[in-house]
Amino acid sequence: MNTVEIKNLTKYFGKITALDNLSLNIEKGKITGLIGADGAGKTTLLRTIIGLLIPDKGEISTLGFNPVTQKEELTPLIGYMPQKFGLYEDLTVIENLTLYADLKNVPHEFEKMLEFTKLAPFQDRLAGALSGGMKQKLGLACTLLGNPEFLLLDEPSVGVDPISRKDLMQMVREMINPETTVLWSTAYLDEAHSFDTAVVIDRGRVIYEGKPHDLAPTPQEFENKVIDLMGGYKQENSKIAENYTLLKDIQDCTVEADNLEKKYGNFYAVKNNSFCIQKGEIFGLLGPNGAGKSTSFKMMCGLAKPTNGTARIMGIDITKDPEKARSNLGYMAQKFSLYGSLTVRENLEFFASAYGIKFKNRASRVKEIIEVFGLKDYADQKSEELPLGLKQRLSMACALIHNPPVLFLDEPTSGVDVITRRDFWNHITSLARKGVTILVTTHFMDEAEYCDRISLFYHGETIALGTPEELKRKALELNPAPKPAPTSGEGELPTMEETFITLIKESEKE
Amino acid sequence: MIRDFFRRVLALMKKEFITIWNDPKTKGIIIGLPIVQLLIFSNAATMEVQNIDVVTLDRSQSVESRELLSRFENSPRFRNFYYVDNEAEFKKKLDTQKVQIGLMINNDFSRDIKSGKTATVQVMADGRQTNSASIASGYASQIISGYGMETSSKKNGVGINTSVRNWFNPNLEYKWYILTVIVAMLSLVTTLILTSLSIARERELGTFDQLIVSPLSSLEILLGKSIPPLIIAMALTMVMTGIVIVSFQIPFAGSFLLFMVSIFISLLAIVGVGLYISAVCNTQQQAILSAMTFMMPAVLLSGFISPIEDMPVALQYLTWLNPVRFFMVLTRGIFLKGTGIEDVTTNLIPLIIIALITLTLAGRTFKRKLG
Amino acid sequence: MKILLALIKKEIKQILRDPSSIIIAFVLPFISIMIYMYGINLDSVKVTMGIKNDDPTPEVATLVKSFGHSKYVNSIYFDNIKDIEAAITRSKIKGAVIIPNDFSTKLARGQNADLLVITDGSEVNTANYVQSYATAIANNWLISSKYASSVNQPAINAEIRTWYNPDLNSHYFIVPGSIAITMTLIGILLTSLVVAREWERGTMEAMLSTSVKTIHIVLGKYIPYFILGMLSLAFNIFLCVVIFQIPFRGNYLVLLLVSGLFLFTSLGIGLNVSSVLKNQFLASMVAMSVGFMPALMLSGLMFPINSMPVFFQHLTRILPPRYYVSFIESEFMAGTVPEIVIANAIYLTILGLILFAAVYKNTSTRLEKVSTRTLRERTPERQVRS
Repeated sequence: MNTVEIKNLTKYFGKITALDNLSLNIEKGKITGLIGADGAGKTTLLRTIIGLLIPDKGEISTLGFNPVTQKEELTPLIGYMPQKFGLYEDLTVIENLTLYADLKNVPHEFEKMLEFTKLAPFQDRLAGALSGGMKQKLGLACTLLGNPEFLLLDEPSVGVDPISRKDLMQMVREMINPETTVLWSTAYLDEAHSFDTAVVIDRGRVIYEGKPHDLAPTPQEFENKVIDLMGGYKQENSKIAENYTLLKDIQDCTVEADNLEKKYGNFYAVKNNSFCIQKGEIFGLLGPNGAGKSTSFKMMCGLAKPTNGTARIMGIDITKDPEKARSNLGYMAQKFSLYGSLTVRENLEFFASAYGIKFKNRASRVKEIIEVFGLKDYADQKSEELPLGLKQRLSMACALIHNPPVLFLDEPTSGVDVITRRDFWNHITSLARKGVTILVTTHFMDEAEYCDRISLFYHGETIALGTPEELKRKALELNPAPKPAPTSGEGELPTMEETFITLIKESEKE
Repeated sequence: MIRDFFRRVLALMKKEFITIWNDPKTKGIIIGLPIVQLLIFSNAATMEVQNIDVVTLDRSQSVESRELLSRFENSPRFRNFYYVDNEAEFKKKLDTQKVQIGLMINNDFSRDIKSGKTATVQVMADGRQTNSASIASGYASQIISGYGMETSSKKNGVGINTSVRNWFNPNLEYKWYILTVIVAMLSLVTTLILTSLSIARERELGTFDQLIVSPLSSLEILLGKSIPPLIIAMALTMVMTGIVIVSFQIPFAGSFLLFMVSIFISLLAIVGVGLYISAVCNTQQQAILSAMTFMMPAVLLSGFISPIEDMPVALQYLTWLNPVRFFMVLTRGIFLKGTGIEDVTTNLIPLIIIALITLTLAGRTFKRKLG
Repeated sequence: MKILLALIKKEIKQILRDPSSIIIAFVLPFISIMIYMYGINLDSVKVTMGIKNDDPTPEVATLVKSFGHSKYVNSIYFDNIKDIEAAITRSKIKGAVIIPNDFSTKLARGQNADLLVITDGSEVNTANYVQSYATAIANNWLISSKYASSVNQPAINAEIRTWYNPDLNSHYFIVPGSIAITMTLIGILLTSLVVAREWERGTMEAMLSTSVKTIHIVLGKYIPYFILGMLSLAFNIFLCVVIFQIPFRGNYLVLLLVSGLFLFTSLGIGLNVSSVLKNQFLASMVAMSVGFMPALMLSGLMFPINSMPVFFQHLTRILPPRYYVSFIESEFMAGTVPEIVIANAIYLTILGLILFAAVYKNTSTRLEKVSTRTLRERTPERQVRS
């Protein structure tokens, strides 16, 4: 019995073929993971399955209905969580829940939801004031209302910390019944590995369909297999790094936080945060959503004024001479914040000039960066039309366009496909080797391993600071529960994700 | 250093232009709508009351009364005539707005004239449209007293001939006046919407953070944000002025250079107000509604509807803060009267002050709003 | 029903949390009515005029004096024409009267005397006032002067009565008329933003995948803004009638009913703009051009519709403010005139229904617009749930 049956589905957007003669069945009562590179057609597929988009060719049957003509009968049976979930930011948590409960015609029983999402204490807070993780939980809660027969989730875990990510997964698993079908689009391959079925699509076609365990027994191997399926990733020398030329006079402490503090009323969003990042170091800022990472980040680059303390970039005080300090900085925001109505090329040209690249060098620089970032096919497309992963790639390109000695990356890889992520980190680590100082936040714990040092942030304070290995050892001391050691001796150490959870839990005890 | 400055400002300006200009829909709306409006409003908006419909109740039915009514019929200002024979119908025609004016001639009309007494014609005007009512009844009484003079026995006495000379607009054409007002109003609306949304939109979409993090200084952002709308509004105003001169054949009396400078500074002040609103507001909705809240009183108190000298003193002082006031005085003055440099300057100074204050406030506000 | 109620509740909460909608519904009307009452005067405008008297006889001196005594004229004396010219160009005076040196001689000889009136034609309205004030003052002076006995007198006297507004108080029509502008702002400008906002912020996509039907989305926008508009209307009427003592001769129920119809058509325009453009910037530009400006210029409030060229008279027929302005002025000043109420109400209803149908058609529950015909063509057959 299949929930979705798709035969020869084709969908065009102008000249672009988003779905190319795609056929797929989705089994009832199973969780199916949808994996694919950015722009592979995942979102289009989800939207077409529930009738938000109309296919150009082919047939779809969703829960026995034709979404093209029977959308009204179909929608009450499904729960769909779009990538950018439509929470009303000027309504409170409980008001959003009530609204969606009414829209789905289900009773107002939110106790279980609020308990699962841990949103109960915040139910009267405006949705706009929630942290990223809480917003996603609330969005998922709204989607789960009314126990839909078929759940479609479009990358619900983008920008969510590991703990909240576990919560989301747990929420779905516990709130559904064995009959429920779930179609879960994700960029986290460990997530996809835990599902019943995995579907990999590439350029609008299905390239793999089957049990994830049949492909590979462990998440790590699964990731490699998927990468192979998607055309493979060959680590090359980073062209960006090769073309990078570092400014001569670089000090030791390129980025320095000096007792940073941000206070809202009586509440400390960030408290005595001090660190010094060396030239060429990759410094990771980790922590759950709402821990104060973003606030610290914003203070570091002068987007928010610290109530106390200051930050220095290349020795220049950000509160005193923000323009000069920022000219040394490449910044990539968490939320896509480039100009949607400008094309990829125009965005790059704009940031090139905004950072003072001379006119005669601009064209070659833009051309170079378009090639390096693989944006050639999209160069004259409006950036708002790009899929999320490509938007992130473009943001990164804009941040790097002026060869900055310091790079601030706020969740640069959230929503980006696995190959692009590896590619990103290849560039990042190569740049660091060239002497670029990098401050990065991420929710991918495997990425944390790339960092030279990590500051673990919780409730506005640093609770641990050190190399990944130091942190792992610390976690091991705290939580010596023996793990079955794999072959190598090093295997005793917990994974980064376990380390993260242990250290956070430990700090909660205090 | 200074080249970096220009490079950055230019980059920002180019970006603004692309966002406004690349989308054909936006382009069409910004340029097309004001021009269509100009053509419609300039033809439609007139205070010269015409096509007046009349109801008449002629109880006299005499040679004199018919002669009087034929004078009305021959006047180009009056259009349709309804002849009724009872008061109820007369009243009904007025009540239901079928006519704007009613003429009632009593049965002793002819007798009074013949006997040398002053005869009376009653003119009833529909006061619901108070302005046109008084204008229309003015026309009616002119016709009546004109005819009355001819039939008068005392027509060889003395009187005063007023000969009127209307400077700058010899035939006192309403269109000349209203066109300059409409051009100013349409550029005001376009400029205000363009600027008041510019920062608020970037804030709503999250792109403003990216701007702030780049090495662009407040001054550079301010320039980059104000020059493109200024150029667009300036071009729009010039196109509209061109249309006014060419297709409505209104003579341009003043110095064109002075006109350009005045428009530029007026628009600059409005850009300042718009950007300040934009810097203060968090959402586009707030920005556009605040712009409206500024615009309504500003237009009403600009002297366009009723003269400023006639307002209460307190309001007169308030209009010194109103850029639209000076904008209207300047466009009309230079266009129709050829106002000279000295008087233009007195009107420009307040505008420059307004522009400086609002632009400074805007620049400071978007910095301070960083929190 | 429940869905609709939820959407309405949501919208009302959003309205209440955003001060800007409250400002536009209550604060702006208050400011405008205040300005109309105290800042704008269309009846007896006081003008500053120059006077140059070249006839230094005692008799003419009384004429000059009567200019000085008029409450409509602020007179300034000039000695030479150059100064007058400069003063008019600089807008110091709006016009001037020049009494020639043979003024009294001519009158004494039983001839018509000449009076030269100069106006600043760049301000047409004031120029008209200057002209008529000068003529009226001179003629009044003449019949009270020593030449009165030999003055021309017409045999017919026009007795002018202005019905419904005998004092010719223009506030009585412009203040109720301004309600039409406020209603337009709420109906068109505010609503033109709200649907566009949902598309821009992405809240529409989530909503479209719930049981929400087109009619819910449409009514979910119409009803809350209708309520806001009616509250604002009630507030406006309260201001007009109670605070500013504008006489109201009509029937409140009729006033509310027809105002409701007007609001219904305005909302139709606003929501059409918004659902077609899906972008707040464009939507507000268009709303200003098809909503606010025509309400000001083409409604008959400031410029009489009858005086427009025929084509433009017909153009005003497709715009709702025309019907509403005609109705509201009549309802305030003349009371309920059934013909006027019914005719305007019918027009407004027809316009409103057409616009409603258009909003319904333009609101899709999908992310792309597809006509039902193409839907059938693209999907060959059946599929009923097993």
